Amino acid sequence: MQLNRLSLITILALSTHASLHAENYVTVDFLQYNENDNRVAVSAPSVSAAYDIGTDFSVRADFVNDAITGATPVWQSDALTDGGSGASGRVVNNTGDYVYKNQSFNDVRNAWSIGATRRFENRDELNVGINYSRESDYDSKSISLDYMHYTDASHNRSINFGISGAFDEILVKSIANGGKYRDDDDDKSYYKDDDYDSESGASQKETSNTINLQLGVNQILNETSSLKVDAFAVLSAGYLTNPHQRVVRNYNSAFQSLGDESRPDKRTAYGVALKHIVLLGDSVSLNSNYRYYTDDWQINSHTLEENAYYEASKNLTLGAGVRYYTQTAASFYNASKEHFTDEIYASSDQRLSQFNALTYKGSVDYKISDNLSYNLGAEFYEQSTGLKATMITTGAKYHF
Amino acid sequence: MKTLICLSLCCSLFSGCSFKNVKPWEKESLAKPIMQFGGIHGAVSKYESHVYFSKEAARGGAGVGGGGCGCN
Repeated sequence: MQLNRLSLITILALSTHASLHAENYVTVDFLQYNENDNRVAVSAPSVSAAYDIGTDFSVRADFVNDAITGATPVWQSDALTDGGSGASGRVVNNTGDYVYKNQSFNDVRNAWSIGATRRFENRDELNVGINYSRESDYDSKSISLDYMHYTDASHNRSINFGISGAFDEILVKSIANGGKYRDDDDDKSYYKDDDYDSESGASQKETSNTINLQLGVNQILNETSSLKVDAFAVLSAGYLTNPHQRVVRNYNSAFQSLGDESRPDKRTAYGVALKHIVLLGDSVSLNSNYRYYTDDWQINSHTLEENAYYEASKNLTLGAGVRYYTQTAASFYNASKEHFTDEIYASSDQRLSQFNALTYKGSVDYKISDNLSYNLGAEFYEQSTGLKATMITTGAKYHF
Repeated sequence: MKTLICLSLCCSLFSGCSFKNVKPWEKESLAKPIMQFGGIHGAVSKYESHVYFSKEAARGGAGVGGGGCGCN
């Protein structure tokens, strides 16, 4: 009995307040995401696994496959063709005007990540991770490192420092080439194997780098609540333009044109994130989150989120949550086709506009046995831009 | 300036409060799965983060792990 109590104390001392709950598991999950107006639909199966090697090491791995279909709104000529794609279509009607309408696309994204955790004698933790993500026109490689240090013997307070670097390659499909990549080796694969005609700008490979820094404090307030405060910075440089977005320039002149959007090649963002969690009674937890974000593109944002979990029984946990998000517009954003003339930076991408968003969500987690649990979740997302989306998630977790 | 104000608020929040020295044997409630900051489903949190990353301009604050993508 005494041994059991000591074991419990040891487990609690090691597990609570740590950034990572050590356990061996395999999870299989699936996301189905659908937007209104036949916009983007994503089916994304994923698998994750973690394994402890003794008490001081853990390793983990994740894989996700995103199959993306649908359309996204961009400025386009309103010319109608006879069904041929791109330049091969015969124009049957062209008023010479521009319309902001959905442009079809589909893509597949595969992303891998692996990571390892080293725990030291005082239970400080060092985490390292490597991520790789690939799409037909976008590659991203990143490495991350974070360290958690306990500042007191009771492990009630810890400080965290994390840094990551992401190195991205983007294949730009310039409108100057009729929106087509140049497939030099004619293998129907427009990436990696081809040369890019950077002189003409017909198609080219661009790069961008992002450094993410985070410094935080995690404080246990009492037996039933904790507080976490993080300051973060995200520093991006390189090609930050969205290669799929267009702007109309000089609309009210004889020189009107439809061209690629253009964003600054640097972006510096800062913010603060606060998280508080409290247990109400024996079986309800309330998780409150707030994030403030600001960057030098003049985008300021506030995010408020409240999640509650209820342990209805030993096997059943119910969840519900609401999230509110608001952002101001980027300094170079304008939705109108009549606004831009010769500005260096110009974008009509709705994601850089001023808008608010609300998310409502619910979840059910059912423990089938001591080792196996199943979860089902549904979320509804709505922006003031008119975008609406549903997100259905389901998954199973096996502990061993 | 706003960032400085937020950081100052955070500092004063910590400096103005006294916290109970919770002993290891008093942490049973804190060890519950429903008491984790990231929620009880890690995969769902990752899916959510990815959706928000692709539909909103703000980012950061949820740790330094994870890779980029062309969705934004």
